[in-house]
Amino acid sequence: MEKTSAKHVFEPLAWLLQLITGILLAFLITIHFYVTHLESHEAISYAAVIERLSSPSYKIMYVLLLLFVSFHAFNGLRAILLDTNFGAKRRGFTNVVTMLLFLLAFFYGFYLLLII
Amino acid sequence: MDVEFRIKRFDGSKSYWQSFKVPVRKGMTVLEGLYYIKENIDPSLAFRASCRMGICGSCAIKINNKPRLACETQIMHLGGKTVTLEPLDNFKVLKDLITDFEGFFAKHEFVRPYLIRDDVDYNEPVELIQTPKELEAYYIFSLCIKCGACYSVCPAAATRDDYLGPAAITAAYRFCADSRDRGKEIRMDLVSSDNGVWRCHFAAECSEVCPKKIEPAKAIQKMRLASTFYMLKNIFR
Amino acid sequence: MAISGWFKVSGRSVFSLAFSFHRITGIILLIYLCMHLAYLTSLTDKTGQTYEGLIGVTVTPAFLAFDALLVLCGVYHGINGLRVIIHEFGLAYEYRKAILAISIVLILAVWLYASYVMYKLVVGG
Repeated sequence: MEKTSAKHVFEPLAWLLQLITGILLAFLITIHFYVTHLESHEAISYAAVIERLSSPSYKIMYVLLLLFVSFHAFNGLRAILLDTNFGAKRRGFTNVVTMLLFLLAFFYGFYLLLII
Repeated sequence: MDVEFRIKRFDGSKSYWQSFKVPVRKGMTVLEGLYYIKENIDPSLAFRASCRMGICGSCAIKINNKPRLACETQIMHLGGKTVTLEPLDNFKVLKDLITDFEGFFAKHEFVRPYLIRDDVDYNEPVELIQTPKELEAYYIFSLCIKCGACYSVCPAAATRDDYLGPAAITAAYRFCADSRDRGKEIRMDLVSSDNGVWRCHFAAECSEVCPKKIEPAKAIQKMRLASTFYMLKNIFR
Repeated sequence: MAISGWFKVSGRSVFSLAFSFHRITGIILLIYLCMHLAYLTSLTDKTGQTYEGLIGVTVTPAFLAFDALLVLCGVYHGINGLRVIIHEFGLAYEYRKAILAISIVLILAVWLYASYVMYKLVVGG
């Protein structure tokens, strides 16, 4: 059996990334909530949002947040589906669809970050 | 004093509840109550039992919604005037409290629960030495009596029929952690399939209901971690 | 058994309940993620009117209860998630009861604080 094929490494990698993105998200989402709620009510006004999005460090933070949360959410969905007989019978399909949804969410959010 | 035994019965086509009045004295176990019903009220009541001392694993059933060994559960300790008995969850019910264990045993067999070595010579047998510390690494996981209680409460086992389950993965870990074993890689391949370690999400209810307190949840986490490093290291091999 | 097997309460320990909540909050947050991305699409209107219109409706006392529940889901999933991560890395299994207790306390504390912050923003000011 070919041990190094991508198929055999996908599950442990996905599991590890789920945990790692989980830890990173705990930080990033706290920061996100802090920035949008704690400074002032004006923090979520249109002007304030645009100002944040024009700063490079915020942009990077948002891209990372988007990347990690999209992966974590859709990999979580993948795990939930594979916990069912329905997902088990269609393993390849479930893996492909949930990962595509992850990429869709990420690229859509990335697109928003670019054009806003 | 009388206690009502409310039992979920199954006759092959339909399930129904039936109550029996059982005279109870202090120290009497649920299993003794079941025998009383079978011997004095309804001989058709079907349940599994053998050793009546908590070592064979036959009599695991849901007692007041929690999987327990009937022989180790004292009726008076449960409190209340009614005891509700049902067959284990996540198993196919054959009759009354008896469930089909074929799949459960097959999963156990699947992980090759025996020492695997390549130097076995029956003409020149060699004693495999093990220190007490090496024994401690896996001893508790070897105490599994295959009662099925863990499988009954596992949320992954509830929705995925081919999930190996806590008992089988614990058995795999028991051997992988045994210093005398040389089959670690074989077993890791077996439990790293997607019906194996990846289906556990640490609900840890298995450890709560195990009558032998062998901590299957702990074994599964360790097995999964070992599998991850093994599979990721393979990329660089 | 069906999906109800993920959410059993009777005869189950706190660990099983913690798992059930983790799963349900995960699903809720997944749905919220999609809603949030849709919401942020309003920012593409460069006049800012669509976005401010949405803010005007959703960042109000009427939505506070919904927001508080949402934040509970997020705080619960995050803090309980960290607890699960610790154990899934094979650590501190023997202390799981204490760690669960600490997690619950932290969740309540953080949630109440976050709800208070949102309350001040929308009512106090």
